[in-house]
Amino acid sequence: MTLTGKRILMGNEAIAFGAMKAGLQIASGYPGTPSSEVMETIISHAKEYGIYAEWATNEKVALETAVGAAYSGANAIVTMKQVGLNVASDPLMSLSYIGVKGSLVILVSDDPGPHSSQTEQDTRAFGHFSNIPVLDPSTPQEAYDMAKLAFKLSHELETPVILRTTTRVSHGCADVIIEDIDPVPRDIEGFVKDTRWTIFPKLTAQRHPLLEELQVKMSDRFSEYFTDNSFNSITKGSSNIGIAASGVSSLYVQEAIKDHPGTFSFFKTATAYPFPEKAALDFMKGISDLIVVEELDPYMEEQFLQIAGRHHLTINIHGKKDGSFSFSGEYDVDVVIDGINRALDKTGSKTCRFSHSIAAIKAEDIPSLPIRAPTLCAGCMHRTVFYGFKKAAAKMRSKTGVDSVFSGDIGCYTLGNARPLNMVNTCLCMGAGISIAAGLSHTQEFGNGLNAKQVAFIGDSTFFHSGIAAVVSAVYNNANITIAVLDNRTTAMTGHQPHPGIGITAMGSPAKMIDIAEVLKSCGVGMVKTIEADDLDKCMDIATEAMKFEGPSAVVFKGKCVAICKGTGQYIVDEDKCTGCKLCISQLGCPAIFSIPSGLPVIQDTCSGCGLCAQICPSDAIVLKEVSQ
Amino acid sequence: MKFDILIAGVGGQGVVLASRLLATAAMDAGFHVATAETIGMAQREGSVTSHVRIGDDVCGSLIPQGKADLLIGLEPAETARNLLFLGKDGNMVVNEHAIMPSTQGCDEYDPEMILDFLKSSCPGTITADFTELAKDAGTYKAANVAMIAAAAGAGLLPFSTEYLWGVLEKMIPEKYRDVNRRVFDRAIESVSGNNRKVINKD
Repeated sequence: MTLTGKRILMGNEAIAFGAMKAGLQIASGYPGTPSSEVMETIISHAKEYGIYAEWATNEKVALETAVGAAYSGANAIVTMKQVGLNVASDPLMSLSYIGVKGSLVILVSDDPGPHSSQTEQDTRAFGHFSNIPVLDPSTPQEAYDMAKLAFKLSHELETPVILRTTTRVSHGCADVIIEDIDPVPRDIEGFVKDTRWTIFPKLTAQRHPLLEELQVKMSDRFSEYFTDNSFNSITKGSSNIGIAASGVSSLYVQEAIKDHPGTFSFFKTATAYPFPEKAALDFMKGISDLIVVEELDPYMEEQFLQIAGRHHLTINIHGKKDGSFSFSGEYDVDVVIDGINRALDKTGSKTCRFSHSIAAIKAEDIPSLPIRAPTLCAGCMHRTVFYGFKKAAAKMRSKTGVDSVFSGDIGCYTLGNARPLNMVNTCLCMGAGISIAAGLSHTQEFGNGLNAKQVAFIGDSTFFHSGIAAVVSAVYNNANITIAVLDNRTTAMTGHQPHPGIGITAMGSPAKMIDIAEVLKSCGVGMVKTIEADDLDKCMDIATEAMKFEGPSAVVFKGKCVAICKGTGQYIVDEDKCTGCKLCISQLGCPAIFSIPSGLPVIQDTCSGCGLCAQICPSDAIVLKEVSQ
Repeated sequence: MKFDILIAGVGGQGVVLASRLLATAAMDAGFHVATAETIGMAQREGSVTSHVRIGDDVCGSLIPQGKADLLIGLEPAETARNLLFLGKDGNMVVNEHAIMPSTQGCDEYDPEMILDFLKSSCPGTITADFTELAKDAGTYKAANVAMIAAAAGAGLLPFSTEYLWGVLEKMIPEKYRDVNRRVFDRAIESVSGNNRKVINKD
C-alpha cells in the first residue's frame, strides 16, 4: 500500500503507522480513552503487514503478553490509558530491571482535564518511578516520528520505552507525513533460554547498578538531541527570562509568545525522562528567571529545581510550585498566557505582558444556559436494569427495612449515577464495584443503623478485566452481595472492542466464548441467573430474588448496545391519553424524551424503541409509532 | 494565513465528523490542519466541541478564546456556550433546531431567546433549521453536512465547496451518498441569498 506522503491522521493513528513502519510484529492492549485508536489502527492493518494483534483482558496481561513477545526478539507494542498503567505497574516495575530483547514500546495516554478518566495522573512520573524512558510528543507528526524512535531506542538500549501522549495529541488530527511500510516478512529470533529472564533477588541486586547507569546514559543521549534532533530544541532570546515546556504545552507557549519574537529563551523537550540534565544546565546559565509550563505534575519543574540546587545557580524557577500555574486541569493558550503573566509579575521584570484576543462578546453577557451532562443513551439496556433494581430496592426497604447500596464500576454504566436514576453510590476503578460491595457487606450496619444489601454493577468487559478475581474473593470470604452483570455484548465506552464474552478475537477470528454465568457458577456464587434486559417487570422480579438471596448472588443481564445495534422502532406520546404526570421524564432521564414548559412530553427521533417509558407509563399513553409505508 | 473554526453541538449530532470533513477538505486544498475533538464519555448527549485550525503556522489544536474566525453551532445553547471563542470579526452559522436536555430543569431553556441573543451578538449570523432541512432532504442525521455546506456556500470557508464535496464523496459510504448530496445542495441553495463574504487566503 502506498502511504508515502501527507495524510490527515489522528495522533493515535499516526503512532500506529509509526510503529508499523518501525517493524512492529506483535501488539497487545486493553482499550481506554484516549489510547484505543492505536490498537484499532494496528488491528485494521494487521493482516496486511503480517502483524499479530490482540485485545487482552486487562493491561497487566497485555503488558506481560507483549513482554513475552519481546523476550523472543520481536518488536512489540502494548497500549493503554494512564489508569491502565496502574494495573500494569506490577510487571512494569520488575521489567525495567530485566530489560527486553527485540523492542518493546509501552503506549500510555494521559488525560489532562480530565475528559474521560478517573485521575489526572502523569505517566512521566511513572517513567521516573520505574526507570523507563518516556517520550512526550507534541503533535501527531511528532507522535509518528517518536513511535519510530521509541522502537529504535528500545532495541538499542534493551529497555522498554514509554511513548506517552496526552488527549490533544492522541485525539487531535493533523496532516502527517508518513512513509510506505516495508511489506517484507520480518523474522523473530525466538526465545533463548537464559537466567536473565527469571527475576530473583540475586538478579535484581546484580541488575540494579546497571539500570542506574542506563539512566545517566539515556539522560546524556537526550541532551545530545538538542543539537542533532528536532524533538528537543533551545532558542535563545534577548531577555534573561527563559521558558521551558514539554509535550503539547510547548505549542501553547509558542503561540502565546508569538507576539514577542526573540524576547524569551525557549527550552522545548520531547524526551521527558530521563531528563536531559546537561542540556538543561547549559540552558539555565545566563537566565535569571525560568518559567516552566507543563500539564499535570510539576515534573520538569522539579528537575530544574534540583539542577539549580546542585549547581548553586542564581535562578528563580516559576511554575506550579510558586502558584504561577495550576496543578490541575488541561492547559491551553489562554491558561498559559495567564500563567506566564503571573510568573512575569513575580520576576519584577518590566518586560512585556501577554494579552488575550478580544472575543466577539463578553462572558458576562452570555445568558444562563441549560446544563447538559452526559447520560446513558436513549434505549440503553442499562437504564432498564438500573430502574429495575431501584424499584426492587425501594420495595424491599418499605417491606423489610433493609436498605441497599449500589456500587458502580468503570464503563458507560458509570452514567447510572446521573439524575434521576442516581444508581451509583460508589465508583473507584475497574473491577472495584464487586470488591467494595464485599467490603461494605462485612460492615455490620449501614448509616442510620439499618442493615443494607450490597449490590455491585459491572459490565461484561470489566468483568473479564478485573471482576473475576473480585468475585472469587467475595465468595471465598462469604460476602453477602448481589452482582449485576450488565452484559451489552461489547466494550461500549471505548469504541466497541470485542472481549472474551463475545467469541471473536481482535483480528476477527472466531474464538472460544467465555460464558460469564458459567464463570460465576464455577466461582461458587450461590445463585446465578441470566435474563434478557428488555422487560422491566422481569428485571424487577429477578433483582428482588437476587437481593433476598443470602450470600453471593448474581444476575447476568443480557442486552445490546444501541450505539451499534439498529433501533427496533420509535415510541410516541398519545396526547389523548397522556395526563401530563411526566413520570417518563422524572423517573428515567432518557435523552429521547423531553418536556416543553407546561406541555406534554415529547419523544424525539433519537428514540430507539426500548419501550421502558411505555412500561412505566400509568396511562398507557406511550405507544409504538406506526411506520408509514 | 490562519483560519480557525469551532464546531459546537450535542454528542450524537456529528460534530466530530463535521470537523473531520472540514479538516480533510482544508488539507486537500493545500493547507496545514490541526484539530481537537471531544471523544469519549461526553459523547452521548453531553456538550461537545471540535476545534479545526487551518493555516501555515503549526499551533496547538485548541483555539484560544476570541480567535475563531467561524463558529458553526449545531444547537443554539451550545453555540452560545462557545461564543467566547469567536473573534470580533468572526462569523457564525447556527442551527435553529434545539435539543432539550432530558434531565429536570430544562424548563430554563428557551431556544428562541438564545437565538435572538446570538443574532444580536453577531449581526451577520446565518441561522436556519438545518435539522429540518436535512430531514426534508432525507435524513435528520445529516444536519452536520448541511451546516458545513451552508458555511461553504456562504463563502465563509477558506476553500471552495468543491473540496468539501470531494471529501464527502470519499468519506461517506456509497449508500448514503445520494441523500448527503441532496442535503449538501439544498443547504448551499438556502444560503445563496446571503451576502457572500470573501476570505483573504494570503
